[in-house]
Amino acid sequence: MTFNPLEQRGIPLDRQLRNWRELNVTPIDPDHCDPYTRCRIITMNGIEVEAIMFSHQLARNTVDPEVKRQLARTRYIEAQQQKVVNWLLPGVSSVLETTIAYEQVAVDLTAWVARMEPDPYLKQAYQFGVLEDFDHLYRYANLYEMIEHRKAESIVEGLTEVMPGRPTKFHHRHPTDNVRDPYVKDETNPLSKLHALTIMSAEQQTMNFYMNTGPTYMEPIARQLYQEIGLIEEEHVTHYESLVDPGETWWEQLVNHEYNECYLYYSFMEQESDPKVKAIWELHLNQELEHLHIACDLMRRHDGRDPESVLAPQLPDVLTFEPNKAYLRELLDTQIDLTTLGAGYVREAHERFEKMQEQIHGGEAPPSERVMTQHDEMFGREYRVETEGEHPDPALREK
Amino acid sequence: MSELHTPQAGDDAAPDNDVVSLLMRQHGDIRNLFDEVEASTGEARQEAFHRLVRLLAVHETAEEEVVHPFVRRSVAGGDEVVEARLAEERAAKETLSDLDDMDTGDPKFMPRLLALRTAVQEHARAEERYEFVHIRRSADAAALASLAKGVKAAEAMAPTRPHPGVESATANVALGPVAALMDRTRDAVRTAMGRD
Repeated sequence: MTFNPLEQRGIPLDRQLRNWRELNVTPIDPDHCDPYTRCRIITMNGIEVEAIMFSHQLARNTVDPEVKRQLARTRYIEAQQQKVVNWLLPGVSSVLETTIAYEQVAVDLTAWVARMEPDPYLKQAYQFGVLEDFDHLYRYANLYEMIEHRKAESIVEGLTEVMPGRPTKFHHRHPTDNVRDPYVKDETNPLSKLHALTIMSAEQQTMNFYMNTGPTYMEPIARQLYQEIGLIEEEHVTHYESLVDPGETWWEQLVNHEYNECYLYYSFMEQESDPKVKAIWELHLNQELEHLHIACDLMRRHDGRDPESVLAPQLPDVLTFEPNKAYLRELLDTQIDLTTLGAGYVREAHERFEKMQEQIHGGEAPPSERVMTQHDEMFGREYRVETEGEHPDPALREK
Repeated sequence: MSELHTPQAGDDAAPDNDVVSLLMRQHGDIRNLFDEVEASTGEARQEAFHRLVRLLAVHETAEEEVVHPFVRRSVAGGDEVVEARLAEERAAKETLSDLDDMDTGDPKFMPRLLALRTAVQEHARAEERYEFVHIRRSADAAALASLAKGVKAAEAMAPTRPHPGVESATANVALGPVAALMDRTRDAVRTAMGRD
């Protein structure tokens, strides 16, 4: 690929503001859309939310009022981008339906990143995490059939399998063991920085979504399952954010954020099947190119460094939503019994893990187990989508 | 596609003692039937469509007889909530009776079915968000169960998935036109609720 965002000029910032008519986008049709269109929307919403919150944090740590004003101008446009992107989701979808789509994102985005990640330590972090998102998809799918009599298949449409991953009850680790070691900013592949930022943002948005929508449910099992998985999202954000080198300056981080947005809008524009959504990715790419230039100017001015020194010379291969079934089955076969110890991974349940398990479960079955029991009472079976044959782990085959 | 079949409300082992949960599952059943009509062709589509029409007729009648009167009686501002839902239902019913006479192979069928699907789905979510929340807030367990009983009586009037070997066209003829089904459903609900 020859697309270099540093060499492209986008739309000037003072021509980026949209009026109400332009913000009033037509949402996708949940019953007929490409499931990966919905995944791209959910991903970009997470990316825009991170862009907005990062800019707010930066502004709160900025003394110069002129710089604060510059950040506010770009951030207002980012806020409009977030409104357009997230408002592509339809009002007729239920929270649970959207949740299943969030988990499809977590599975296929993280699996793809794990496949492409060049650094073995970072790759392991994604491989570890994806087996947990995979199990969340399965638990929510069973809840969905109980509450709405709908199959998760009508959302994931055979692109992603639905079956047990690492059992959710084992995701509750001591917080100390959720902190990874960071990559080293001056040595790591620039692609690794983009991967870490992307997955961190997606998981953070999932955490925000569950923590805010979980209590809108009235069904006790639904409220409880959102609480349980919501707490695991806290662990996942800790896990992924700790991969990012904290030695990057604020301005370097800003540049990385803007560059990543260019990368993702470009990637999604290249593969989008819905023409109306594709037009939005293209417009937003052209806006982001300008945001990147503004960020680069700020970095040059405040860090006295050239942004080219921290960025890739050209965009990496496009980040792609596609099925990862064989890859996930291989991980299910080999990594299901892993847990973390310090910044590494072990197969044995260690003392700190067992203590945490004992305390959080309080001697009872957690919501993620009870949802399966209640589903079985209602239907006499589980809900799974196993398109490629039985579960690779004999212990996790349906009894 | 997965081979799993989700049974219709009433055919699963849920206790069905909460009218809101029951109606929400029925909303899913209706959505499943729209999927089935869209995915099938020929006689299978005609047959699935007949089941959809009848489930819709029964479901809407149950809501008119059971849910809306409760909301009018028990919820402050309930009349306005119900009027908005009734307007949506009237529009959907008109499309429904037009479609019921149509051959599912007619080129005009699919666009009209999709329009109906959109209207029905918007109506269902509006009920869940603006009407059902009031029911759960103002009804105690006994009231939720009693309302559920009325909906169950209506549900018994809707044909479920045909058993293999049963000639479905005959079964549909036996059910008669939609209007007559609505009348019979109304009577069944009133009997079950002790209101006849």
